[in-house]
Amino acid sequence: MATDAKAGAKGKGPKLPVILSANRLLEGDVVYLTAGGWTLDPASARIASDAETAAVMEAEGAAAAAANLVVDPYLVPVEIDATGFPRATHFREAMRQTGPSIHPDIGKQAEYAH
Amino acid sequence: MYRYDEFDERFVRERVQQFRTQVERRLDGSLSDDEFKPLRLKNGLYLQLHAYMLRIAVPYGTLNGKQLRQLALIGERYDKGYGHFTTRQNLQFNWPQLKDVPDILDLLADVEMHCIQTSGNCIRNVTADQFAGIAKDEVEDPRPTAELLRQWSSLHPEFAWLPRKFKIAVTGAEHDRAAIKVHDIGLKVRRHPDTGATGYQVVVGGGLGRTPMIGKVIRDFLPKDELLAYLEAVMRVYNAEGRRDNKYKARVKILVHEIGTEEFVRRVEAEYAQLDGPTVNAPESEVARIARYFAPPAYEALPEDSAVLDAARRADPALDAFVAQNGFAHRQPGYLALTISLKPVGGVPGDMTSEQMRAFADIAERYSFDELRVTHAQNLVLPHVRKDDVPRVFEALKAAGLATANSGLVTDIIACPGMDYCALATARSIPIAQEIAKSFADERRQAEIGPLQIKISGCINACGHHHVGHIGILGLEKSGKENYQITLGGDATEAAALGERLGPGIDAEAVPGAIETIVGTYLKVRTDGEAFIDTVRRAGLDPFKASFDAYVAGEPA
Amino acid sequence: MTVVTPTGEVPNDYVRIESADDLTTVQGPLLAPLALAGAAVEARRNDRLGLSVANDTKVDAIAPFFDAIDLIAVEFPSFSDGRGLSLAKRLRRAGFAGRLRASGPLIADQFAEALACGFDEIQLPETMAARQPVAQWLAAKDIVTEHYQSGYGADRSILQKRLAARKG
Repeated sequence: MATDAKAGAKGKGPKLPVILSANRLLEGDVVYLTAGGWTLDPASARIASDAETAAVMEAEGAAAAAANLVVDPYLVPVEIDATGFPRATHFREAMRQTGPSIHPDIGKQAEYAH
Repeated sequence: MYRYDEFDERFVRERVQQFRTQVERRLDGSLSDDEFKPLRLKNGLYLQLHAYMLRIAVPYGTLNGKQLRQLALIGERYDKGYGHFTTRQNLQFNWPQLKDVPDILDLLADVEMHCIQTSGNCIRNVTADQFAGIAKDEVEDPRPTAELLRQWSSLHPEFAWLPRKFKIAVTGAEHDRAAIKVHDIGLKVRRHPDTGATGYQVVVGGGLGRTPMIGKVIRDFLPKDELLAYLEAVMRVYNAEGRRDNKYKARVKILVHEIGTEEFVRRVEAEYAQLDGPTVNAPESEVARIARYFAPPAYEALPEDSAVLDAARRADPALDAFVAQNGFAHRQPGYLALTISLKPVGGVPGDMTSEQMRAFADIAERYSFDELRVTHAQNLVLPHVRKDDVPRVFEALKAAGLATANSGLVTDIIACPGMDYCALATARSIPIAQEIAKSFADERRQAEIGPLQIKISGCINACGHHHVGHIGILGLEKSGKENYQITLGGDATEAAALGERLGPGIDAEAVPGAIETIVGTYLKVRTDGEAFIDTVRRAGLDPFKASFDAYVAGEPA
Repeated sequence: MTVVTPTGEVPNDYVRIESADDLTTVQGPLLAPLALAGAAVEARRNDRLGLSVANDTKVDAIAPFFDAIDLIAVEFPSFSDGRGLSLAKRLRRAGFAGRLRASGPLIADQFAEALACGFDEIQLPETMAARQPVAQWLAAKDIVTEHYQSGYGADRSILQKRLAARKG
């Protein structure tokens, strides 16, 4: 099920490293937590390599959700590729980082080259 | 088609205002996210994989040119220039922003449209035969019934928090094009064999999803004027007794299955006996008022055959193929209904650009009494085209990229949005449809294969109706990869049947080859003129299983 | 606990009790669970009595007490559980004419629905009432002014109004 693909939903936590994703409440856009706020560009996402950082990021996500900035924040397991880009390991999350595979002209893949 | 009166107009405007205040109260913290979610869903607003998605109701699949133009405008102004027609005759936009949705709803209300109950655990938008009022096998036009149900179900105070979603479909014809046996309630207009009076056969408890079931007849003949009270009884039994402990067992089909059809009927009839029908049912004059809106348009008196069309077909094989494949016999002499395929080979099934919407609105206004239909196969219909006009309509459709002559053929594939858009999906659907269509691109080959419905769902919820596809494809996740199960023998018509698994799941790359293998087996096994589904019924799954197994094992066909 | 009616907030004058012992110790109007209905009817003197019922209770289990009680509180375990709406409709049909209360974490957007199904009032947990003050309930109630369904609420339905207009 799709929910299983969302890391951190249950159990002892996702496989590290991770980034934190959510959607903006007002716009709906997929966003990622950075060191200071949220970004639309997955390349700028803050990366947690240890459980403590991941926990801090989760808390920041929960606070942003409580403040009605974002909805549904959750940790996403990634692999850091040769360019330093944190690519989601699950294909569902990788799709969120790019946009619809059938529309290369639409979504993050069109706006940010990775 | 139906036009709003002052009551409908005020109702829809107030509903927009209600949603506007709900958004405001979500933002000021009065409504929690958990509380807001069902409220936005009841207004068709989802949060999908990349963005919000807004599902717009196209009641029983009927639109006019002005409405389609407004959808084009919304697509341009608030989305990315295209919309997507769904398997429930609705239209959805994939990229709207929450802050714009109240304004979008106002634009819809300007053309007598809304998003009411296109999602959520309530009575959903009612669907109907796309050839209503056209088909020769029709007992009665189902649209007045569907419109009455649209009104009755809209913001129903008692049935707004059901255990699960509830879908109603209506057909008035002998041949079921509305898939009534796989809906929560299916209604078939029929005449009483003895009295000749009009009424409904009522089917309950069909549905797809993770527990697919064919609906059961719970009333063979319900007098027409008793409809609303009887449905109130069904809904009350379901609302009170449908399971709420497990959302996967909450549909009415599970209740019917668990207590048995007989007991379900007993409970409904017991409830119905206590209802004061006349206080619930629609007044006869109200039913008549609604029905008048669906009177036939002002047809010209024409001969059945058109010399103009016949000559043009002889001169243009493409036109000939288009009419042969996409034409549907009209009850009015000299007229034809045309299915407009939204399945160009390699395209996204059901997608339409704003430009195409405007071009198509022009065509419908000029050549089809300003009326068009949406089908549950994600195509459109021009319901009333003069045969003399068909060559000109064909040229206009070609110019708009809407003249694909594949209605009902192997490339006319139903596909849910799948993981390219949907938050629930476990695999992609659209790219699978695209690759299959490409492998069968040759039109002559498609024609030789004949009628064959492929239906693809990207998860077990079955929005792509894979269970009732002649060939069904279900995308799942297996070991972190997309994996596809193939079923055979499904049917959504009056001969409703659920497809059977052919073998193990396969990778995405292997799907087009598997479909080739299945079709190849059919061509070998079929008798003269036998359609795919009939061959499957006659020959059974065995020959298909054998060739599929060989294909999966990598053996040459 | 806040009690909201169509005209605004009213005091909650019923005290919820859990056991038969409370029947003698608690003064004033009582709200007793259905299981204590028999004992409560027997024990009460001249004070008002209400019954708290689960939303899957059969009407037949409540109807015998109609004459002895002033109020029925139908419990809503969550706002998204609509069973209570059908129970209200059935209780009214069975002839209950006293106060009908929806009790639980309902949201303001459901006020009109609850009233149309026969409820008179909503009893809210304080947390809900704090987040959605009574003013929101009153505003939400009136935002959609017409309804299509006949047999719900005091007003005539749209279908009935159309009929009346045709008759002139």
